Amino acid sequence: MKKLIIFLTVVAALLIPVTASAEGEHSEGGLDPKEIIFEHLGDAYGWEVPFDHHHRIPLPVIVWAHDGFHCFSSSHITGGETYVDAGTEFKLAGIDSPYKGKVVEIVDGKEHRPLDISITKNVCAVWITVILVIGLMLWLASFLRKHPYKAPRKGLGGLEVCVTFIYDGVIKSILGPDARRFAPYLMTVFFFILFMNLLGLAVVFPGGANLTGNIAVTLVLSIITFLVTNIFANRHYWKEIFWPDVPLWLKFPLPIMPAIEVFGMFTKPAALTVRLFANMMGGHMIVLVLTLLIFIFSAVNPVAGGFTTVVSVGFSIFMLLIDVLVSFIQAYVFTMLSTIFISLAQEKPHEAHKKGESEAHVIGEEIKDALV
Amino acid sequence: MELFTPDFGLIFWMFVAFGVLFLVLWRFAWPMILKSVDERADLIDKGVQYAQNAKEQLENANREAQGYIEQARHKEADILREADKMRTQIIEEARVAAQAEAQKVMDAAKVQIAQQQKQAEAQFRNQVSDFALQIADKVVRGQMADAGRQQALVDSLLTEIEHKN
Repeated sequence: MKKLIIFLTVVAALLIPVTASAEGEHSEGGLDPKEIIFEHLGDAYGWEVPFDHHHRIPLPVIVWAHDGFHCFSSSHITGGETYVDAGTEFKLAGIDSPYKGKVVEIVDGKEHRPLDISITKNVCAVWITVILVIGLMLWLASFLRKHPYKAPRKGLGGLEVCVTFIYDGVIKSILGPDARRFAPYLMTVFFFILFMNLLGLAVVFPGGANLTGNIAVTLVLSIITFLVTNIFANRHYWKEIFWPDVPLWLKFPLPIMPAIEVFGMFTKPAALTVRLFANMMGGHMIVLVLTLLIFIFSAVNPVAGGFTTVVSVGFSIFMLLIDVLVSFIQAYVFTMLSTIFISLAQEKPHEAHKKGESEAHVIGEEIKDALV
Repeated sequence: MELFTPDFGLIFWMFVAFGVLFLVLWRFAWPMILKSVDERADLIDKGVQYAQNAKEQLENANREAQGYIEQARHKEADILREADKMRTQIIEEARVAAQAEAQKVMDAAKVQIAQQQKQAEAQFRNQVSDFALQIADKVVRGQMADAGRQQALVDSLLTEIEHKN
């Protein structure tokens, strides 16, 4: 029975492009894979609904134009129309514009980009993630408050496993006694990234936004890590940057080492930004390309399209499953690297100094004893 | 490439959203969660410690009990051996005492018997001598009626004495 179902599914998949090409013989529209991929990877002023290319869930557009503040629904402009709000014309910039796909105001026939803080698809997804994470964590916290010393089961148990995995496995083991101080930030980062990653993999409404594959999102997260690292850094950290333990000529007339160290301060968050961004965007892109292969081959030959369907869907599922793993790994890696950067800025002066001091102290005591 | 140019709106909202998320979790979720996770870990550690101690104690107690049992067994064996020894000793003593007593009784009896025998012999001799004297008296009185016979007897007695000397 199971085999039969699988067989029928495969046959149906083989046939779909054939029938589709038979039906759609007349609709002549060039397929632009690059456009489609970037549209799916990018942001939008409205959220697609499945099986419908024209309707989108409208989201508020909030802009600060030359004459002040404007707020209107994105449904007025997503179709490509020009919308007049309180005397100012707005529209989505066309393909040939430098502001392609963004909201622009039209002043004297020219397009200007206003200060745009619209609730776009990505912003909306960020807030959905925030609400989701807050909800889950408050749920866990309230469970733990009601049942002290009891380990939660099932879903909450899984959540708690993640908490202890990060808290005990990463934060405590790297930061040691400082763990309690930085744990709130690091745990927040971990769960925020994890749920953004996972929601990005879901295809329809609450998910589907390519959040962590957007450089703005990863940039903000690594800027925050950078700020936390440097604001809470101790004296030793700054000394290591501006007056490291190297021969004098490396730092005095020409500050070579300090320059390298300062450069290093900024490469760390940059690496964080790009790593998360590239990994998640890569995953999304592979799935998109695999899906588009079906349409590309179907356009060439319906039978080839049929075979591509089977192969592509198989590979897409495989890639999505890998992406679930990658979602977790990337959230883990981001948290771990943040923890390491923070711990480097918390490092005490080398243990050797301390040891030497304590030994000198002991010897001094002995001499004193001998004299007495 | 639009992918590599961060969008101001998204950056702005990310800061706001992350700020809200962090503040809410920092205020309401993490202290509780981390505290209970830590406390539970401590409790489990303590529990394990306690269980180990209890196990050790139990083992000690078992060993002690085993020791006591062993000791008691030794004692029991000792007591039994002692009792056995005492029994044989008592029996031996009793036997010896009984023998001695019996010997004494027998000796006393022998002495008494001998005495009585002697007495009886003496009595018997007295009686026999009495009888003999009486018989002799009667015989002598019968035979010594005439003087000739008296003379003959004296003569024979005198000869006898002569022969003896």
